[in-house]
Amino acid sequence: MSLVKLASITKKITIAAVGAFLLLFLPMHMGLNLCILREDGGEWYRNVCHFMGTNWIVKIFEVILILSVLVHVVVAILLTIENRKARPVRYAVPSKTKTHAGSKFMIYTGGVVFAFLIIHFINFYFVKFGIVVEDDSDTYTVEVEDLQMHLNEKVALIQEEMMSGKISQEAAQEQMMALQLEYMPFLQVLQTGQPSEKISKDGEELINLTKEELVQFAGEDFKEYEPDFYTMCNKLFAQPMYSIIYLLALVILGIHLFHAINSIFQTFGLNHKKYNKAIEYLAGAYAVIVPLGFAIVPLFVMFCK
Amino acid sequence: MNLTLKIWRQENARAKGRFETYKVENISPDCSFLEMLDILNEQLVDKLSHPVCFDNDCREGICGMCGLYINGRPHGPDDGVTTCQLHMRRFKDGDTIVIEPWRARPFPIIRDLVVDRTAFDKIIQEGGYVSVTTGGVPDGNAIPIPKKNADEAMDAAACIGCGACVAACKNASAMLFVSAKVSQLALLPQGKPEAARRVQAMVAKMDELGFGNCTNTYACEAECPKQIKRSNIARMNREFMCAKVCSEE
Amino acid sequence: MVTLNSKIPQGPLSEKWTKYKADQKLVNPANKRKLDVIVVGTGLAGASAAASLGALGFNVKIFCISDSPRRAHSIAAQGGINAAKNYPNDGDSVGRLFYDTIKGGDYRAREANVYRLAEVSNNIIDQCVAQGVPFARDYAGMLDNRSFGGAQVSRTFYAKGQTGQQLLLGAYSALSKEIKAGTVKMYERKEMMDVVLVDGKARGIITRDLQTGKLERWFGHAVVVATGGYGNVYFLSTNAMNSNGSAAWQCYKKGACFANPCYVQIHPTCIPVHGDYQSKLTLMSESLRNDGRIWVPKKIEDSEAIRAGKLKPTDIAEEDRDYYLERRYPAFGNLVPRDIASRAAKERCDAGYGVGTGQAVYLDFSSAIKRLGKDKVEARYGNLFQMYEKITAQNPYETPMMIYPAVHYTMGGLWVDYELQTTIEGLFAAGEANFSDHGANRLGASALMQGLADGYFVLPYTIQNYLSKEIYSQPIPTTVPEFDAAEKAVAEKIEKLMAIKGNKSVDTFQKELGHIMWNKVGMGRTEAGLKEAIPMLKALQEDFWANVRITGDTNSMNPELEKALRFSDHIELAQLMAKDALHREESCGGHFREEHQTEEGEAKRNDEQFMYVGAWEYQGEGNEPQLHKEELNYEFIKVQQRNYK
Repeated sequence: MSLVKLASITKKITIAAVGAFLLLFLPMHMGLNLCILREDGGEWYRNVCHFMGTNWIVKIFEVILILSVLVHVVVAILLTIENRKARPVRYAVPSKTKTHAGSKFMIYTGGVVFAFLIIHFINFYFVKFGIVVEDDSDTYTVEVEDLQMHLNEKVALIQEEMMSGKISQEAAQEQMMALQLEYMPFLQVLQTGQPSEKISKDGEELINLTKEELVQFAGEDFKEYEPDFYTMCNKLFAQPMYSIIYLLALVILGIHLFHAINSIFQTFGLNHKKYNKAIEYLAGAYAVIVPLGFAIVPLFVMFCK
Repeated sequence: MNLTLKIWRQENARAKGRFETYKVENISPDCSFLEMLDILNEQLVDKLSHPVCFDNDCREGICGMCGLYINGRPHGPDDGVTTCQLHMRRFKDGDTIVIEPWRARPFPIIRDLVVDRTAFDKIIQEGGYVSVTTGGVPDGNAIPIPKKNADEAMDAAACIGCGACVAACKNASAMLFVSAKVSQLALLPQGKPEAARRVQAMVAKMDELGFGNCTNTYACEAECPKQIKRSNIARMNREFMCAKVCSEE
Repeated sequence: MVTLNSKIPQGPLSEKWTKYKADQKLVNPANKRKLDVIVVGTGLAGASAAASLGALGFNVKIFCISDSPRRAHSIAAQGGINAAKNYPNDGDSVGRLFYDTIKGGDYRAREANVYRLAEVSNNIIDQCVAQGVPFARDYAGMLDNRSFGGAQVSRTFYAKGQTGQQLLLGAYSALSKEIKAGTVKMYERKEMMDVVLVDGKARGIITRDLQTGKLERWFGHAVVVATGGYGNVYFLSTNAMNSNGSAAWQCYKKGACFANPCYVQIHPTCIPVHGDYQSKLTLMSESLRNDGRIWVPKKIEDSEAIRAGKLKPTDIAEEDRDYYLERRYPAFGNLVPRDIASRAAKERCDAGYGVGTGQAVYLDFSSAIKRLGKDKVEARYGNLFQMYEKITAQNPYETPMMIYPAVHYTMGGLWVDYELQTTIEGLFAAGEANFSDHGANRLGASALMQGLADGYFVLPYTIQNYLSKEIYSQPIPTTVPEFDAAEKAVAEKIEKLMAIKGNKSVDTFQKELGHIMWNKVGMGRTEAGLKEAIPMLKALQEDFWANVRITGDTNSMNPELEKALRFSDHIELAQLMAKDALHREESCGGHFREEHQTEEGEAKRNDEQFMYVGAWEYQGEGNEPQLHKEELNYEFIKVQQRNYK
């Protein structure tokens, strides 16, 4: 069944259903963000980031979430194209009709939110895969155990090659030396590192490395690290421009959300004289509280740190 | 009152249209908007020009025939009235009034300000009725209908089919029109047996005719001369969903 | 020459219709498919007839001058629809509805038709409820009734103040269903220009496409005309702008008799004319007279001062006000019947006491507000006051309303027999277009009843009696000479009109016509006035054909041409109205001859000489029409003088 051929109301219901799902996600995301406010040197924050980055249920949801956003965007664009086609000749005088707050600009507010989402992804999501590297000063958290294992693997490989006679004993020894030399600073850190560089989480030993160090020690193919979101976050929001853009995007998100929530109820036909006012208040409350919750983080970083 | 009118003139559906500027003088504030256009047409006839075509009939706000897009609003600056109920006292001496036809793909222009709204009839023909034939019906009081439902059905049925909802909607959506009929019949027991089929067929026709999608801006509700409520659209959405999910039709 | 045969079935009144139905011929389903029926007009009568005939299986073509059947002016009826259901248990019955209608019509209607109307009235309500018409209900969920127009029983069913709209939309929905089923073909924005007769039978029509100007030919085994009344002859009326008597007039000119053209109903409570640019009049519900008091100043200088804007109505002291209805009719006061209230207002205004433009009287609610409180008045009349304020920009709570009578409904129309067939075989007329079951005056809430009765329950039966004879007639191609001639005549008429290129617009003529008709053939008619009117109308007709200016072209939408074509019929129809009014030397119902009134100013009928339907037969251009009389025999009710004292 082609998406275009769906009935107009089906499309509307799709976009609303997906939107409702996204609405559930936002407060959770906000809650995680607010962990940064705890003055624990980022322990909670890193913990939740780690959990979110590694838990498999979360990973499934991650996929659903991304698909949801895509469906939401694709259907919205489709609807907009169809809607434009429904009025090939526009009016000369722009409409002066009173409409529901924000409702006329959904595609634009949505567009801004989507653009922001991409920036957000670049900063906070793609780094996870190593696709995007901000700058060399960025730090990544690596489990000591993983690194140790990686080192051990390399040693084992050299030993294996030596045993099978692929390389001579001398060559192997040379390689071992080189390896040891390379890993020297890292091993030193492991043994003598300062607490700020050595973090402990859920009883595991972790270490922060720069991207350069990471590549150097673990090689390009090393995947067992995760970015240190806590540091990254603090650094990003310390830039005023970035924070301002972030805050503006939140205002627009609020406008989008206010109409969106009202709209969801309308589209699902959840309309009742007794509750319509309540729905309007709920939408208003959500549209203010959630973006405000997100806004606390940059404001906190800018003014309280 | 002296006024400047900028009116859309277009010979037929295929011709290229343009705005023409006219001046009318000594208009009484008690004059209705359409009477003001009558006066303009008298002037045009005097000057041997083709009069401005505009649809109108009952001139008391019930037939739904008139409909002009006046200064950015369907049926002009007053709420809850049709163009024929609009009076010139709503304007000021020296005003410029821009008059456009309804703009929507399913409403092609016939001439000047007259558009073809038979698309609405086509939607109704898909199921905007109870399929009874003449005779063989039970007594009028055989089925009691709660007063509240009857009143609400009446409010929905008050739609005059003028097309202001489509004209006002930025998407040229006909949801308010269609939902008013769906709602009326969904609220009454007479309409129940065909409810599932009706809502699906009418929505399908509406989509097929090229009306836009509803994006809940509620411009339709704001401009409806009969103040049909958007709750009808919600009811239609509900009916549609139930029909899609539960009905086998 | 025609002979009027009303074809009323024999037997007792209450069994006539039953007997007719039992005896009539029917068409079997296989043959129905082969028979074409043309219906012109999509109002209550036309739409319901087309829907019913379509459902029976006939091939129906229906024509409408507007963009949709839903625009028909039936939609504007506010009050309600009568039926003899007797739900409130207040003593109503078919017999009583029948009697009230005959009496209301001032004993100028056919007994058998009216009885049938009362009989089927109940079916109409059931039918409409089944269609989903949202009639008002009470808290038990039962249909609500109200009393209307001074009736003693509550028999009026209503849907807010939009009963006509809801009934029309019901008929429209039934029609839509048949259009979907393919039994009815809908042709919108096409105006009937002529009826085509082949071998003396109506076999089709010529239409003009209002979008392209194209003349088109349509064949039908029978033609039903349901095109409404001709109130727009008066230019200013409560009718819609496009309502016109043209189609009926075309039938008349092809040989169908036109009955009682002088019977015109004038409604007392309309918003007065406020300027010569005005295009139509708006009706205010009659219920306003329940609490409003009607007055004009006692002193003529006060009236003059008010008209000059020097005084406000609130400046006039109580003792200087003339509550003329209360003065003249102490028993009924402001609640006297429509025609009396209308004439009394005209009398005061003619005497120079009018307010506003001189053609208005006050309807004052100040004492009602004092007595009941503003809240109660608002609860009763709030929406009407709002409507009044929207139109006039005056607040009726603070300053009295102004009202004046206006033309509302025409009881006259094409003469039809019991089967609704005109004097042309195969040509039927339904609804306001026929001379109807209302006699000389129509009761409130009866127009909707008659339109739907004709369309749903009468015509679908009676037309079969005719069509059963037509099952052997093959469809006639529209290329036969009769169609050629009819189309050519229309084309020539249009050409002739366009060629005049005079210096006066159609509206100028329409206003002049309205002026003459209102003054001379309006509420109060006199022999002298009517005798003046006829040559004036003739002169106006000549002036029109010499000096009308129609701009624009004939092959696209051209409202000026449409108006001119309709006017050319209305001006002829107006002459027939005047002639009919002149010949009817009596006052009855909507026809008031000032020479014929009682001492109290009541209408004085002349049953001896005029208890008949006056049906006029066209005798060709320039010839006097011939009057045929259908005597009215009242076998079942006693004829009485209407008495409102």
